[in-house]
Amino acid sequence: MGIREPMETPSPASPSRFLIVTLGGRYLALDTESICGLLTFEEAGNDEDPMIHGIMYGAINLADRLSLPNDRGGANTRIVLLSKREMRGSIRVTTVEGLLELSPSQVLPLPMQFCGPERHWYQGMILFAKSIALVLNATWVLNEEGPAKRAGGTW
Amino acid sequence: MLRASHKYQRETTRQSWPLLVFSVGGRRLAVKTFDVSGISLWNESIPVAGRTPFVTGLVRQGQTVLPVFDLAASLRLTVQGSSPLCLTIRHPLGEMAMCIDEEIPVLHTCDPATIQTYQNKDLPAEGSYTNGLDEIPILSVSRLGSTV
Repeated sequence: MGIREPMETPSPASPSRFLIVTLGGRYLALDTESICGLLTFEEAGNDEDPMIHGIMYGAINLADRLSLPNDRGGANTRIVLLSKREMRGSIRVTTVEGLLELSPSQVLPLPMQFCGPERHWYQGMILFAKSIALVLNATWVLNEEGPAKRAGGTW
Repeated sequence: MLRASHKYQRETTRQSWPLLVFSVGGRRLAVKTFDVSGISLWNESIPVAGRTPFVTGLVRQGQTVLPVFDLAASLRLTVQGSSPLCLTIRHPLGEMAMCIDEEIPVLHTCDPATIQTYQNKDLPAEGSYTNGLDEIPILSVSRLGSTV
Protein backbone atom coordinates (compact mmCIF):
# COMPACT_ATOMS: atom_id res chain seq x y z
CA MET A 1 0.00 0.00 0.00
CA GLY A 2 1.87 3.05 -1.16
CA ILE A 3 1.62 6.76 -0.74
CA ARG A 4 2.18 8.97 -3.71
CA GLU A 5 1.54 12.40 -5.04
CA PRO A 6 -1.61 12.90 -7.13
CA MET A 7 -1.13 12.01 -10.79
CA GLU A 8 -0.58 14.55 -13.52
CA THR A 9 -3.76 15.68 -15.18
CA PRO A 10 -4.19 13.59 -18.35
CA SER A 11 -5.09 15.05 -21.71
CA PRO A 12 -8.80 14.97 -22.53
CA ALA A 13 -8.43 12.07 -24.95
CA SER A 14 -6.41 9.84 -22.68
CA PRO A 15 -8.03 7.07 -20.68
CA SER A 16 -8.79 7.59 -17.02
CA ARG A 17 -8.17 5.10 -14.26
CA PHE A 18 -10.71 4.41 -11.58
CA LEU A 19 -10.45 2.57 -8.32
CA ILE A 20 -13.61 0.55 -7.77
CA VAL A 21 -14.62 0.16 -4.15
CA THR A 22 -17.69 -0.89 -2.22
CA LEU A 23 -19.40 1.00 0.56
CA GLY A 24 -22.73 0.17 2.12
CA GLY A 25 -23.27 -2.54 -0.47
CA ARG A 26 -22.82 -0.18 -3.43
CA TYR A 27 -20.09 0.04 -6.01
CA LEU A 28 -18.37 3.40 -6.12
CA ALA A 29 -15.55 4.57 -8.39
CA LEU A 30 -12.81 7.05 -7.59
CA ASP A 31 -10.71 8.70 -10.25
CA THR A 32 -7.12 7.78 -9.40
CA GLU A 33 -6.11 11.38 -10.11
CA SER A 34 -7.38 12.25 -6.66
CA ILE A 35 -6.02 9.20 -4.85
CA CYS A 36 -2.84 9.63 -2.82
CA GLY A 37 -2.74 6.25 -1.19
CA LEU A 38 -4.47 3.15 -0.01
CA LEU A 39 -3.94 1.87 3.52
CA THR A 40 -5.06 -0.95 5.72
CA PHE A 41 -6.39 -0.06 9.16
CA GLU A 42 -3.07 -1.06 10.66
CA GLU A 43 -1.10 1.04 8.19
CA ALA A 44 -3.35 3.99 8.96
CA GLY A 45 -2.36 3.55 12.58
CA ASN A 46 -5.96 2.99 13.62
CA ASP A 47 -6.10 6.75 13.98
CA GLU A 48 -9.16 8.80 13.33
CA ASP A 49 -7.22 11.08 11.03
CA PRO A 50 -4.34 9.30 9.31
CA MET A 51 -1.08 11.25 9.35
CA ILE A 52 1.20 10.29 6.46
CA HIS A 53 4.61 11.90 5.97
CA GLY A 54 3.52 14.69 8.27
CA ILE A 55 0.36 15.39 6.30
CA MET A 56 -3.01 14.80 7.93
CA TYR A 57 -5.81 13.26 5.92
CA GLY A 58 -8.91 14.09 7.95
CA ALA A 59 -11.45 11.30 8.17
CA ILE A 60 -14.62 11.86 6.16
CA ASN A 61 -17.67 9.75 6.90
CA LEU A 62 -18.67 9.09 3.33
CA ALA A 63 -21.34 6.57 4.35
CA ASP A 64 -23.11 9.26 6.37
CA ARG A 65 -22.80 11.80 3.60
CA LEU A 66 -24.35 9.38 1.13
CA SER A 67 -26.87 8.06 3.68
CA LEU A 68 -25.47 4.56 3.28
CA PRO A 69 -25.17 1.95 6.02
CA ASN A 70 -21.95 2.27 7.97
CA ASP A 71 -20.31 -1.12 7.37
CA ARG A 72 -18.39 -2.55 10.25
CA GLY A 73 -14.69 -2.64 9.63
CA GLY A 74 -13.57 -6.02 8.31
CA ALA A 75 -10.37 -7.58 7.10
CA ASN A 76 -10.90 -6.03 3.66
CA THR A 77 -11.56 -2.54 4.94
CA ARG A 78 -9.26 0.03 3.40
CA ILE A 79 -8.56 3.68 3.95
CA VAL A 80 -8.35 5.72 0.76
CA LEU A 81 -6.31 8.92 0.98
CA LEU A 82 -7.66 11.66 -1.25
CA SER A 83 -6.30 14.96 -2.42
CA LYS A 84 -7.72 17.54 -4.77
CA ARG A 85 -6.25 20.99 -5.19
CA GLU A 86 -5.50 22.08 -1.63
CA MET A 87 -8.00 19.72 -0.01
CA ARG A 88 -7.09 16.42 1.62
CA GLY A 89 -9.06 13.75 3.38
CA SER A 90 -9.53 10.05 3.84
CA ILE A 91 -12.48 7.74 3.46
CA ARG A 92 -13.07 4.24 4.72
CA VAL A 93 -14.36 1.72 2.20
CA THR A 94 -15.59 -1.81 2.77
CA THR A 95 -13.62 -3.45 -0.02
CA VAL A 96 -11.40 -2.51 -2.91
CA GLU A 97 -12.55 -4.32 -6.03
CA GLY A 98 -9.85 -3.26 -8.44
CA LEU A 99 -8.61 -0.73 -10.92
CA LEU A 100 -10.26 0.05 -14.26
CA GLU A 101 -8.82 1.99 -17.16
CA LEU A 102 -11.55 3.50 -19.26
CA SER A 103 -11.89 5.90 -22.14
CA PRO A 104 -13.99 9.00 -21.45
CA SER A 105 -16.85 7.56 -23.52
CA GLN A 106 -17.10 4.63 -21.13
CA VAL A 107 -18.03 6.92 -18.29
CA LEU A 108 -21.76 7.41 -18.70
CA PRO A 109 -23.51 10.56 -17.55
CA LEU A 110 -25.92 10.34 -14.65
CA PRO A 111 -29.45 10.31 -16.11
CA MET A 112 -31.03 13.76 -16.12
CA GLN A 113 -33.94 12.51 -14.03
CA PHE A 114 -31.59 12.74 -11.06
CA CYS A 115 -32.03 16.46 -10.58
CA GLY A 116 -31.14 16.98 -6.91
CA PRO A 117 -27.81 17.72 -5.25
CA GLU A 118 -26.64 14.22 -6.18
CA ARG A 119 -25.73 15.64 -9.58
CA HIS A 120 -22.82 17.23 -7.75
CA TRP A 121 -22.00 14.08 -5.79
CA TYR A 122 -21.41 11.88 -8.83
CA GLN A 123 -19.46 12.54 -12.00
CA GLY A 124 -21.02 9.68 -13.89
CA MET A 125 -21.48 5.93 -13.94
CA ILE A 126 -19.39 2.96 -15.03
CA LEU A 127 -20.69 -0.43 -16.05
CA PHE A 128 -18.97 -2.79 -13.65
CA ALA A 129 -19.45 -6.55 -13.40
CA LYS A 130 -23.22 -6.98 -13.76
CA SER A 131 -23.85 -3.78 -11.89
CA ILE A 132 -23.00 -0.09 -11.99
CA ALA A 133 -20.36 1.89 -10.13
CA LEU A 134 -21.11 5.55 -9.49
CA VAL A 135 -18.11 7.82 -9.99
CA LEU A 136 -17.66 10.00 -6.94
CA ASN A 137 -16.84 13.67 -7.33
CA ALA A 138 -13.72 13.98 -5.17
CA THR A 139 -14.18 17.74 -4.91
CA TRP A 140 -17.55 17.19 -3.28
CA VAL A 141 -16.19 14.46 -1.02
CA LEU A 142 -13.40 16.73 0.18
CA ASN A 143 -15.36 19.95 0.23
CA GLU A 144 -15.05 21.60 3.63
CA GLU A 145 -18.40 23.26 3.15
CA GLY A 146 -20.19 19.96 2.70
CA PRO A 147 -23.15 19.38 4.98
CA ALA A 148 -21.47 16.68 7.00
CA LYS A 149 -17.81 16.46 6.15
CA ARG A 150 -16.96 15.21 9.56
CA ALA A 151 -19.44 13.11 11.43
CA GLY A 152 -18.51 13.31 15.07
CA GLY A 153 -14.94 12.38 14.33
CA THR A 154 -15.86 8.85 13.42
CA TRP A 155 -15.37 7.07 10.11
CA MET B 1 -46.29 -9.61 -22.81
CA LEU B 2 -49.61 -7.95 -23.54
CA ARG B 3 -53.11 -9.18 -24.02
CA ALA B 4 -55.78 -7.15 -25.74
CA SER B 5 -58.96 -6.31 -23.91
CA HIS B 6 -62.24 -6.95 -25.68
CA LYS B 7 -62.68 -3.27 -26.36
CA TYR B 8 -59.29 -3.07 -28.06
CA GLN B 9 -60.33 -5.70 -30.55
CA ARG B 10 -62.99 -3.40 -31.89
CA GLU B 11 -62.06 -1.12 -34.72
CA THR B 12 -60.52 1.99 -33.26
CA THR B 13 -61.45 5.43 -34.39
CA ARG B 14 -58.86 7.93 -35.49
CA GLN B 15 -59.44 10.08 -32.42
CA SER B 16 -59.27 7.35 -29.80
CA TRP B 17 -56.57 7.12 -27.17
CA PRO B 18 -54.69 3.81 -27.15
CA LEU B 19 -53.79 3.08 -23.54
CA LEU B 20 -51.85 0.50 -21.63
CA VAL B 21 -53.55 -0.41 -18.38
CA PHE B 22 -51.36 -1.83 -15.64
CA SER B 23 -51.39 -2.27 -11.89
CA VAL B 24 -49.21 -0.99 -9.08
CA GLY B 25 -49.96 -2.30 -5.61
CA GLY B 26 -53.24 -3.63 -6.98
CA ARG B 27 -54.29 -0.19 -8.21
CA ARG B 28 -55.13 0.18 -11.89
CA LEU B 29 -53.41 2.94 -13.81
CA ALA B 30 -53.15 3.75 -17.50
CA VAL B 31 -50.54 5.29 -19.72
CA LYS B 32 -50.71 6.21 -23.40
CA THR B 33 -49.10 3.48 -25.46
CA PHE B 34 -47.09 6.17 -27.24
CA ASP B 35 -45.35 6.85 -23.92
CA VAL B 36 -44.37 3.19 -23.46
CA SER B 37 -41.16 1.87 -24.93
CA GLY B 38 -41.16 -1.59 -23.42
CA ILE B 39 -42.24 -4.11 -20.85
CA SER B 40 -39.92 -6.76 -19.48
CA LEU B 41 -39.26 -8.70 -16.35
CA TRP B 42 -38.03 -6.54 -13.51
CA ASN B 43 -34.31 -6.71 -12.79
CA GLU B 44 -33.25 -5.77 -9.32
CA SER B 45 -32.74 -2.04 -9.03
CA ILE B 46 -29.34 -0.66 -8.06
CA PRO B 47 -30.03 1.95 -5.37
CA VAL B 48 -28.53 5.39 -5.83
CA ALA B 49 -28.02 7.66 -2.86
CA GLY B 50 -29.64 10.93 -3.83
CA ARG B 51 -32.30 13.45 -2.98
CA THR B 52 -34.54 13.48 -6.06
CA PRO B 53 -37.94 12.34 -4.83
CA PHE B 54 -38.83 8.83 -5.99
CA VAL B 55 -35.93 8.62 -8.47
CA THR B 56 -34.25 6.02 -6.34
CA GLY B 57 -32.00 3.86 -8.43
CA LEU B 58 -30.85 2.48 -11.72
CA VAL B 59 -31.59 -0.66 -13.66
CA ARG B 60 -29.11 -2.14 -16.03
CA GLN B 61 -30.39 -3.74 -19.20
CA GLY B 62 -27.27 -5.03 -20.92
CA GLN B 63 -25.23 -1.97 -21.85
CA THR B 64 -28.15 0.36 -21.16
CA VAL B 65 -28.75 2.00 -17.82
CA LEU B 66 -32.13 3.48 -16.95
CA PRO B 67 -33.16 5.60 -13.99
CA VAL B 68 -35.90 4.13 -11.82
CA PHE B 69 -38.98 6.07 -10.82
CA ASP B 70 -40.52 4.44 -7.76
CA LEU B 71 -44.17 4.87 -8.72
CA ALA B 72 -45.35 2.48 -5.98
CA ALA B 73 -43.61 4.54 -3.28
CA SER B 74 -45.00 7.78 -4.70
CA LEU B 75 -48.48 6.28 -4.29
CA ARG B 76 -47.61 4.76 -0.89
CA LEU B 77 -48.21 1.30 -2.27
CA THR B 78 -46.13 -1.86 -2.54
CA VAL B 79 -45.66 -3.68 -5.81
CA GLN B 80 -47.52 -6.99 -5.80
CA GLY B 81 -46.32 -10.39 -6.97
CA SER B 82 -43.14 -12.37 -6.88
CA SER B 83 -42.27 -11.63 -10.52
CA PRO B 84 -42.87 -7.91 -11.01
CA LEU B 85 -42.57 -6.29 -14.40
CA CYS B 86 -40.53 -3.38 -15.66
CA LEU B 87 -42.50 -0.74 -17.54
CA THR B 88 -40.15 1.46 -19.56
CA ILE B 89 -41.58 4.84 -20.42
CA ARG B 90 -40.52 7.64 -22.73
CA HIS B 91 -39.82 10.54 -20.43
CA PRO B 92 -38.77 13.87 -21.95
CA LEU B 93 -35.40 13.56 -20.15
CA GLY B 94 -34.86 10.01 -21.42
CA GLU B 95 -36.29 6.57 -20.90
CA MET B 96 -37.20 5.68 -17.35
CA ALA B 97 -38.09 2.38 -15.70
CA MET B 98 -40.89 1.70 -13.25
CA CYS B 99 -41.59 -1.47 -11.31
CA ILE B 100 -45.20 -2.60 -11.69
CA ASP B 101 -47.26 -5.56 -10.48
CA GLU B 102 -46.76 -8.92 -12.11
CA GLU B 103 -50.30 -8.78 -13.49
CA ILE B 104 -50.03 -8.64 -17.27
CA PRO B 105 -50.93 -5.17 -18.59
CA VAL B 106 -53.78 -4.88 -21.08
CA LEU B 107 -54.32 -2.64 -24.05
CA HIS B 108 -57.40 -0.47 -23.96
CA THR B 109 -58.76 2.10 -26.37
CA CYS B 110 -60.43 5.07 -24.81
CA ASP B 111 -62.89 7.42 -26.44
CA PRO B 112 -61.61 10.93 -25.69
CA ALA B 113 -65.17 12.01 -24.98
CA THR B 114 -65.18 9.77 -21.93
CA ILE B 115 -61.99 11.21 -20.46
CA GLN B 116 -62.58 13.40 -17.46
CA THR B 117 -60.42 15.59 -15.28
CA TYR B 118 -58.62 13.61 -12.62
CA GLN B 119 -59.35 15.38 -9.37
CA ASN B 120 -56.91 13.63 -7.03
CA LYS B 121 -53.48 15.12 -6.55
CA ASP B 122 -51.69 11.84 -5.82
CA LEU B 123 -50.13 11.57 -9.27
CA PRO B 124 -49.74 13.69 -12.39
CA ALA B 125 -52.51 12.70 -14.77
CA GLU B 126 -53.74 13.72 -18.19
CA GLY B 127 -57.22 12.75 -17.09
CA SER B 128 -59.05 9.61 -16.15
CA TYR B 129 -61.74 7.31 -17.40
CA THR B 130 -64.14 5.05 -15.59
CA ASN B 131 -64.25 1.32 -15.88
CA GLY B 132 -67.18 0.02 -13.90
CA LEU B 133 -66.79 1.52 -10.46
CA ASP B 134 -63.08 2.26 -10.94
CA GLU B 135 -61.68 5.60 -11.94
CA ILE B 136 -58.47 4.89 -13.81
CA PRO B 137 -56.03 7.80 -14.03
CA ILE B 138 -53.99 8.24 -17.19
CA LEU B 139 -50.43 9.03 -16.17
CA SER B 140 -48.84 12.19 -17.48
CA VAL B 141 -45.41 10.73 -18.16
CA SER B 142 -43.79 14.08 -18.91
CA ARG B 143 -44.64 15.34 -15.41
CA LEU B 144 -43.44 12.26 -13.53
CA GLY B 145 -40.64 13.15 -11.20
CA SER B 146 -41.38 16.86 -11.29
CA THR B 147 -44.75 17.40 -9.71
CA VAL B 148 -45.51 14.34 -7.59
